[in-house]
Amino acid sequence: MEALDQLISLFSDFANPKKRIFVGYLGLSLLIAFGWLLVIKRQNLRDALRHLFDKRVFFSKSSIADYKIFVINGLISVLIAPYLLTQIAVATALFFALHKQSLFAAGVWDDTSKPIVIALFSLCMFVVDDLTKYLLHRWMHRWPLLWAIHKVHHSAETLTPITVYRVHPLEGLVYGLRGALAQGVVMSTFIFLFGDTVDLYTIVGVNVLVFLFHVTGSNLRHSHISIQYWPWLEHIFISPAQHQLHHSIAEEHFDKNFGAALAVWDWLFGSLHISEDNRKLTFGLGPKEMSSFKLADIYWRPFSDMGKYFKRRAKRIKARLAPSAAKSSQPRP
Amino acid sequence: MLKSTFKCTTLVAAGLFAATTVSAADVYGPYPVTVKGYEGDKTDSVSYSGQIARHVLHDSLKALASKGNGENAAELEAQMLSYFNGSDEDLPIIAPVSKDGFPVKQETVNAISSGKNISGKFYNGLMPAWPGAQSGKDVVLSMISKAAASEGGYDAENGYDWGQLISKYTMGAMMYNQSVDNYLDEKLDADQKPNDAPYSEGAAYTGKEHVWDEGFGYWGAPAHALSLTPAQAYAVAKQSDLAAADANGDGVVDLKSEYVFGPAYYAAGADNSGTKTTTYLPDIMRAFVSGRELITSAGGEALTDAQRSELKAYAATIESNWEKVLAEATFKYAGSVYADIAALEEAEGEDKAKAYRNYVKHWGELKGFAMALQTGRNNLGETAVELNNLIGFGPVTLDNSYVTGIDADGNFERKRRATWSEYQLSMLQVQALLADKIGVAARANDKTSALTDLADKLGAISNAETD
Repeated sequence: MEALDQLISLFSDFANPKKRIFVGYLGLSLLIAFGWLLVIKRQNLRDALRHLFDKRVFFSKSSIADYKIFVINGLISVLIAPYLLTQIAVATALFFALHKQSLFAAGVWDDTSKPIVIALFSLCMFVVDDLTKYLLHRWMHRWPLLWAIHKVHHSAETLTPITVYRVHPLEGLVYGLRGALAQGVVMSTFIFLFGDTVDLYTIVGVNVLVFLFHVTGSNLRHSHISIQYWPWLEHIFISPAQHQLHHSIAEEHFDKNFGAALAVWDWLFGSLHISEDNRKLTFGLGPKEMSSFKLADIYWRPFSDMGKYFKRRAKRIKARLAPSAAKSSQPRP
Repeated sequence: MLKSTFKCTTLVAAGLFAATTVSAADVYGPYPVTVKGYEGDKTDSVSYSGQIARHVLHDSLKALASKGNGENAAELEAQMLSYFNGSDEDLPIIAPVSKDGFPVKQETVNAISSGKNISGKFYNGLMPAWPGAQSGKDVVLSMISKAAASEGGYDAENGYDWGQLISKYTMGAMMYNQSVDNYLDEKLDADQKPNDAPYSEGAAYTGKEHVWDEGFGYWGAPAHALSLTPAQAYAVAKQSDLAAADANGDGVVDLKSEYVFGPAYYAAGADNSGTKTTTYLPDIMRAFVSGRELITSAGGEALTDAQRSELKAYAATIESNWEKVLAEATFKYAGSVYADIAALEEAEGEDKAKAYRNYVKHWGELKGFAMALQTGRNNLGETAVELNNLIGFGPVTLDNSYVTGIDADGNFERKRRATWSEYQLSMLQVQALLADKIGVAARANDKTSALTDLADKLGAISNAETD
């Protein structure tokens, strides 16, 4: 019975508008992709449909591994959920701590008009969430220990909306921590300064800006439909094609387009790469890095890579200490 | 036509019958006399008028606390003490008294019960929440003395509202303490006030019947409390709903059985505020009614061990809910004090004085209830120490100093200072402590509820959606 409940809760993401894979968002993504192929790519109906539902994508070994990982990670997250740091714990602790500073009094701006506070909060929450996602994603690629975890996501050789769940459980933990910290900071600061007027503009229960991100095809980021925006717009929002380029194994695409919804961070920090017309991309990792479909390798490799990293570091430290140790053991003249 | 009228009257009669059967089970009394060999003419064994007299002494004492004018100290103190210690004279009831649309039956204390006092039933253990390491009774006596010497029961310099302090503290030190630490505690033991003997010679009630009645009397709810919504009970205590109070329909409110006094009023207040998820008033009331029915059902025989343990379970329900009621009130006023500080910081001139008066009033209620919590059967231990450290001996006053102790002459010393936001933080910590240790659930004036609401709205962080 309990196992059944867990299985149901696992698939409830499809019915939850707070999740990217909500059926409504998937349906809209499908429509957008279909429209793109028919109108922009001028494909006929049959080709467009065949392209859209390409079984070489949806039933590739890599994609089948994605589906399995979706189920396994869902079960793992049910087990660890009670032990995770929540945004309310962070927010409460920070809200208390804010009373210890004397620059601003609690509720100093509590007479600001409610619509302004709500708009400001909804925007701030979205922007801070997006910025911290960008930063963490960047570190995931730059720091060897984090890359060991994150490369699970990049081991996918075909992309489908479910690939968003292809992450190592440790990455889930790190991302959860980021979310708790980012949201906790914004919530506590706003409630401290603006009092009880703080609220969120929502549609179907989600931040209106997150909703917009999803209804405009966030699911197509992980797909084989490379929708491009105008170059100027790709400096502001990341297009699906730009994110697909982030998954490309071509060297010139390494460490580009870390952004989630906004491209401005990549633009600002020099990692922006606008999409390229008619470029055939290959996704995945180098041949020796990680299998795209062997689950044992996918789940275990990050640990062994981290172990190797520590071994290397230990060796280097030892080498650095060795000559000085030899020196200090020499008899004094 | 005739047929439908007949149907209608049958329906009304059936309805009335149903109503009386329901209400009979839900009203505290009357209960038959079960004492073996009783020779008097009483048919009802319920008796708790002495406790009602004490509620009235308390309400009157609170009203007197604000009558000082700076010149009548000795006279006022004597008057207050006559209500605290009791008097040979028949004292007039100062509160609650009749008001337009809410006539009260009794006008003097003796019309309820004679020879009663507060002092003989007052918690007298150590009261560490007040400066000077005094006994519970010494603390209230010093408060009465300070109230009499003040103007309008208000000490702006130290931040005290004497009426609030005396009243809320007494709700614990007399009512809560007597009920849960005396009548519902050791007096339920087999060898005390047995059920197979009259409480006292010639009494119409057994030992256990009267012990239970006295415990109920301190609770301060009307006999028909179970038929009242929290809002109605609240309105009765505010003397604004005669229909809800007047259970027997005689047009006047009988303080002995129809009025809502302090503890029951705060239970209704908690049920009617915050999350509105608690049921303190009906839960406590039902436990009292069930306990009394159990004793009555013994028919004047000694209670068996099984019956006594059932009775103790009812007593435990009453005690834990009552403690929560006091904690809910403390929680609520910690929230008020937090909000008052914000208002105080924004106010200027005359408004500031008003805002400060309001803050001192709420602080008095906060402190009084926090002290009340420490007069129960259980020693709150570390929780009490933390609570006292957070609230302090006095609130942060206008020059940011606060009372830290008393000197040898009984004058308050204010040797420390704190900022307003530091004190606000203490109020947040008081709320967190009460939520954590006592499990308050109504949480009126919850200062972190906005965070919880927002977090609920944002939903769990999706730790899987990475890119």
